[in-house]
Amino acid sequence: LNAAPGRAPRQQVRFLPAPAPGGGGAVEVVAARVPVLADHPLVRGPRFKKLKIGAGHRLDVKASGVFVLGIGHGNKLLTDLYNCHLTRVYTVGGRFGKATDDFSDTGNLVEKTTFDHITREKLERILAVIQGTNQKALLMYSNIDMKTQEAYELAVKGLIRPMGKSPPIITGVRCLQFALPEFQLEIHCLHETQQYLRKMVHEIGLELKSSAVCTQVRRIRDGVFTVDDALPRTQWNLQSIQEAIWNCQLRVETELEKTL
Amino acid sequence: RRGLAVAARPPNTRQLREAEEAAPVFQYAGKAAKRKDRVFVWGFSYSGALGVPSFVKPDAGWKKPRRIQPTPYRLETEEKISSAACGYGFTLLASNTRDITKVWGMGLNKESQLGFQRSRRDQTKGYEYVLEPSPIPLPLEKPQQTRVLQVSCGRAHSLVLTDSEGVFTMGNNSYGQCGRKVVEDEIYSGSHLIHQLKEFDSRVVQVVCGQDHSLFRTKKGTVYACGWGADGQTGLGHYNITSVPTQLHGDIAGVNIIQVSSYGDCCLAVSDEGEVFGWGNSEYLQLASVTETTQVNVPRHLPFKIGKVKEAACGGTGNAVLTEEGNVFVWGYGILGKGPNLIETAVPEMIPPSLFGWSDFSPDTRVAHVRCGLSQFAALTNKGELFVWGKNLRGCLGTGRMEDQYFPWRVTVPGEVVDVACGVDHMVSMVRSF
Repeated sequence: LNAAPGRAPRQQVRFLPAPAPGGGGAVEVVAARVPVLADHPLVRGPRFKKLKIGAGHRLDVKASGVFVLGIGHGNKLLTDLYNCHLTRVYTVGGRFGKATDDFSDTGNLVEKTTFDHITREKLERILAVIQGTNQKALLMYSNIDMKTQEAYELAVKGLIRPMGKSPPIITGVRCLQFALPEFQLEIHCLHETQQYLRKMVHEIGLELKSSAVCTQVRRIRDGVFTVDDALPRTQWNLQSIQEAIWNCQLRVETELEKTL
Repeated sequence: RRGLAVAARPPNTRQLREAEEAAPVFQYAGKAAKRKDRVFVWGFSYSGALGVPSFVKPDAGWKKPRRIQPTPYRLETEEKISSAACGYGFTLLASNTRDITKVWGMGLNKESQLGFQRSRRDQTKGYEYVLEPSPIPLPLEKPQQTRVLQVSCGRAHSLVLTDSEGVFTMGNNSYGQCGRKVVEDEIYSGSHLIHQLKEFDSRVVQVVCGQDHSLFRTKKGTVYACGWGADGQTGLGHYNITSVPTQLHGDIAGVNIIQVSSYGDCCLAVSDEGEVFGWGNSEYLQLASVTETTQVNVPRHLPFKIGKVKEAACGGTGNAVLTEEGNVFVWGYGILGKGPNLIETAVPEMIPPSLFGWSDFSPDTRVAHVRCGLSQFAALTNKGELFVWGKNLRGCLGTGRMEDQYFPWRVTVPGEVVDVACGVDHMVSMVRSF
């Protein structure tokens, strides 16, 4: 940022002494535009010493994926985005047959079980039940009076969402891949932590009368930001960051207007 | 250095992997693990209709009796229950086994709607309230061959359908709803009488009880009725009581009816071509699409343009039908399921499928069955989820809350719901475990 050409230094009008034409001794005053010395980069130093960067929703060490950062004025937008309570989408990979104490495959082994009785159909049934109970939780924590007509209309459109604090709620689950012992799910959720997702994989294993650990958690969407907008490590330079901010600005504004 | 003890080092990856491989493997379910069938009950329990005696008479002195069971509670049964029906304060469970005991009943028995339940204290008298599922002795000619196909319960009478021995009826007969001649001043309490009905044009395949009348549907597609007719619910062209099952004509003459439904005083029938016919009480606009009169005593065709109808369900004041595409249409009076603003309508209104779990995630979710209680509705989806809505009388919806439900709400049941029976203030569901 500091290498970019800065603002042109302020100009000021000063009367400078200059030697008069013809005859030495007499000094004339000539008006000239001269840069203010106080603005000179060598005097002032680099323009940007500190940058205010804020972080969006937490992503813990073992997970990967989209991580939203706000720069400068963007921090205020971050709080507004948080109050929008938009859903986040994760791809969660799991493995049957093992149970560990921290629900991921790097923890201490607790138990090993057989898993050859598990079929894709059984898994999808369990996922349907999880979706059902979470739908109920969605309606209950949204603090809307169920007896009103607007509650009914929002429920039809599927727009009822808890707008305040709530425990993690899953709005949708889908099984993407199923190849024993591995499987992959796509989970849409609200107010969650990655550890909660790992715990859910463990509980799915228990429901299927076996056990499961979580091998991978990857966030692919955080509100309006998707993996396509995200910048990989090779693109952490000024141009790409500026482009990315430009691309997302419009979407963020429309989303904030819609909700607030 | 004392001894040869060495401080333990943190296990490296290879040791961890070896320990893991050496760990024992537990098996909780083999490949041939079968899904178990279970029965769940919920609602008002003091009548004994839930079949759990500890709700009414707790087994320990300090425990309080449970008046209402607001969420599904598992009922232990000896056999796999294939059919259940809820009446007004009592329940019948039937299994299609070949054993001698095929039907169990619990709840109110003041008019012998559960047959004669011999009291243990006094061998000559019967129980007035049956608190746990008790076998009902049916006078079968071949008890070890006949199977019970279906049961149905009304206000104070019950019908049991068998595959080869016709229909057995028991309970109140003051309006002829049991299909036998009305006896003046008959005392129904403690009665041993179970009547058998065999004279129909073909085998009876469905029996339905209304409040005080009975409907029989035969294999040929004809409908017979008997019982109280003051609202025209017998559909026989008059408003008198009928004590012998008589065939219905009107708009359903010659039509192959594939399903009949009734619970209060209104009746609906569905033909094989997807047309709906109705008769009976129309005080709540149930049949207002064809007539202004409040009682219709002849089956009338209801010209609804909603698509081919697959199933119909009649409640006390509201009706619901299910079309082939899986959409639910409701009409009538009461809490119909489209918010508090829709109280009554004469024309069927569709309930949006998104309320039944249809979404971009599961676009193939659709409703598979509809059932009606007196002022409640229940819908079963093809994913095995149960949705209820309507008046939450004494906790009968099973949602866990005591408030009325104005739009379809999921009931959390640990399993896939296969069938549900709705009563006035309780419900019974047959569930398969995962």
